[in-house]
Amino acid sequence: MEMMTVKIKRFDGRNSYYQKYEVPYEKGKTILWLLTTIREEQDPTLNFTSACRHAICGSCAVQINGNAFLACNTPLDDVLETYKTMNLTFEPLKNFEVIKDLVIVWEPKMEKMTKVKPWIIPGEEGSKEIGFLQSEEDFQQIAAPTDCILCGVCASECNQLAVNQDGYLEPFILNKAYRYIVDTRDGAPEQHLKPVLENDLWKCLHCMQCVSQCPKTIPLTDQIAFLRSATMAMGELDNQGAKHAYAFHDDVKNKGRLNETMLPIKTDGLVQTALTKIPFALRMVKKGKINPLHMPKQISGIQEVRKLYEYAEEVKS
Amino acid sequence: MTLTYAFFPGCTLESAAEELMISTKKVAEALGIELIELNGWTCCGASHIQDIDNFLSTSINARNIALAESLGVSKLLTVCNTCTLMLRTAKLKMDKNERLKEQVNVGLDRAGLQYKGTVEVTHLLWALLEDYGLENLKKKVTVPLKGLKVANFYGCHIVMPPDVMGFENHRNPQSMEMVAEALGAECVEFDQRLACCGFHAVFPAQKEVMTMTGINCLSPKEAGADCIVTPCPLCQMQLDAYQPDAQKRFDQDITMPIIHLPQLIGLALGISPEELAINRHVVDAIPALQRKLQLA
Ligand code: SF4
Ligand code: SF4
Ligand code: SF4
Ligand code: SF4
Ligand code: FES
Repeated sequence: MEMMTVKIKRFDGRNSYYQKYEVPYEKGKTILWLLTTIREEQDPTLNFTSACRHAICGSCAVQINGNAFLACNTPLDDVLETYKTMNLTFEPLKNFEVIKDLVIVWEPKMEKMTKVKPWIIPGEEGSKEIGFLQSEEDFQQIAAPTDCILCGVCASECNQLAVNQDGYLEPFILNKAYRYIVDTRDGAPEQHLKPVLENDLWKCLHCMQCVSQCPKTIPLTDQIAFLRSATMAMGELDNQGAKHAYAFHDDVKNKGRLNETMLPIKTDGLVQTALTKIPFALRMVKKGKINPLHMPKQISGIQEVRKLYEYAEEVKS
Repeated sequence: MTLTYAFFPGCTLESAAEELMISTKKVAEALGIELIELNGWTCCGASHIQDIDNFLSTSINARNIALAESLGVSKLLTVCNTCTLMLRTAKLKMDKNERLKEQVNVGLDRAGLQYKGTVEVTHLLWALLEDYGLENLKKKVTVPLKGLKVANFYGCHIVMPPDVMGFENHRNPQSMEMVAEALGAECVEFDQRLACCGFHAVFPAQKEVMTMTGINCLSPKEAGADCIVTPCPLCQMQLDAYQPDAQKRFDQDITMPIIHLPQLIGLALGISPEELAINRHVVDAIPALQRKLQLA
């Protein structure tokens, strides 16, 4: 019989250590089957959470060989095939506090979520009497974000969160804010949006981990782009993120290409650039990486590119 | 056999990573790959323009792809992860959504172009595996990179999101290892193999990104790597040019040379480090390479 070696990171409240189990391989099972089998047949002290077994309750997410998975809807065979191995290492989700073994604490995350006011702030249009009506199309806007099952996979994989736990919002919190901002029944989107901006919205690294691993395929990074656009539409343009984005936007319009020499100045301003980016710039110049005198020429076809800009403006309005 | 591609260099190759332009051209020539640079390409937006205007971001990349289509080639090739992602994202959106495609084409029409959807967007790394073939690559190796321990740093955008990129399993890609091994190099295992370099937020998240850079250098260093190799000039810039800034946040020595994928290939083809412009990196990679290889 083919055996799998399963290492699980245990934590008893004080010490953490890896424990090894040998489990006979069976075809066509799920990751949750594997955990349950270990608990039932080998070690009743192993702690993990699960409930629905249908990718609905969101309680069974774990890290396996470096990536986060929802245990109940992930085929074991897929994971073995992905890592080309019979050795699996289980750990609790990253970027969460751990209670025991694979069990993590959700309360602080829920507390943090209240920052974005995850509830509808009713607008003028509705009332108790007439209700709060939505068209089919309006509803479709919140259909994808409400698929979130709060499993924590995105947060576990988020690279910004890994280095900025206090400052940054978990992608599922951004999703929640988005969900109320686009809800047509909500009368105060800025009240959800402001806290998003203030909690390092522009620090998203665009690494695509969240959107690539979400078991519900929620378009998290498109949402982040939307949230950024929305803050700029609100007039929040005087920050590094917005200025950086506009540097690209404007360079393409003017020349077609990015002017890397001017980028720091456009993003940070002259004074900040002089303080922080000069050593970097000198290094680049010295190695011949940046030629400070190289100013991109206008590309051939720049008039046509500007027509695309004009047209995009028309489409917006 | 001559493979011909439309070539999208991206702004970085024109300015801050000219050494990648130089090495890409050298390697393509040595392999007999013809690269036709798009006339009048624009910046892909580098993951920023969609934050201002999503439709515009799709439109400018539709224009880039349309320029390739008018060359009558079947593939548009890049050597930058993020360029590949931006171009492929625009393409996928239009190919999936006929209405969007038509709308984008109304704008392109004013620019005298049409997006048809006939050209595929690829990256040099994929083209080597898919079109050129590892066996053919091996035949071209004159200086096997025996003994050189490389750390393959993929960069997120060559694998994610998988519905856009889709060349290989994003949780455990192997393409870099396959190429490096075909060149005779030894690949080290290290924790940060699939990490993010943080480049796209280096301005707003400077502190965090410098910490990431330090970790990304230390992890392969502890695994015994001689250098990091990456298929993305933005990862290269982040890990190399910002390394001195990252060092300030660490007590341990994080020094780790970072080279571009075409530079690694070029070395195995017998091209000298100078011709591949390896001497242009901030962290000098040549001593580490010299220790292990008989360089041309
Ligand atoms: S957004 Fe996706 S990954 Fe994140 S908690 Fe919700 S369902 Fe899970
Ligand atoms: S794309 Fe942004 S939010 Fe998503 S995982 Fe990366 S840093 Fe986090
Ligand atoms: S990603 Fe960078 S290199 Fe690629 S085109 Fe865009 S700005 Fe230029
Ligand atoms: S690692 Fe950084 S620069 Fe490289 S592809 Fe990913 S996000 Fe882009
Ligand atoms: S057990 Fe409910 S989501 Fe997995």
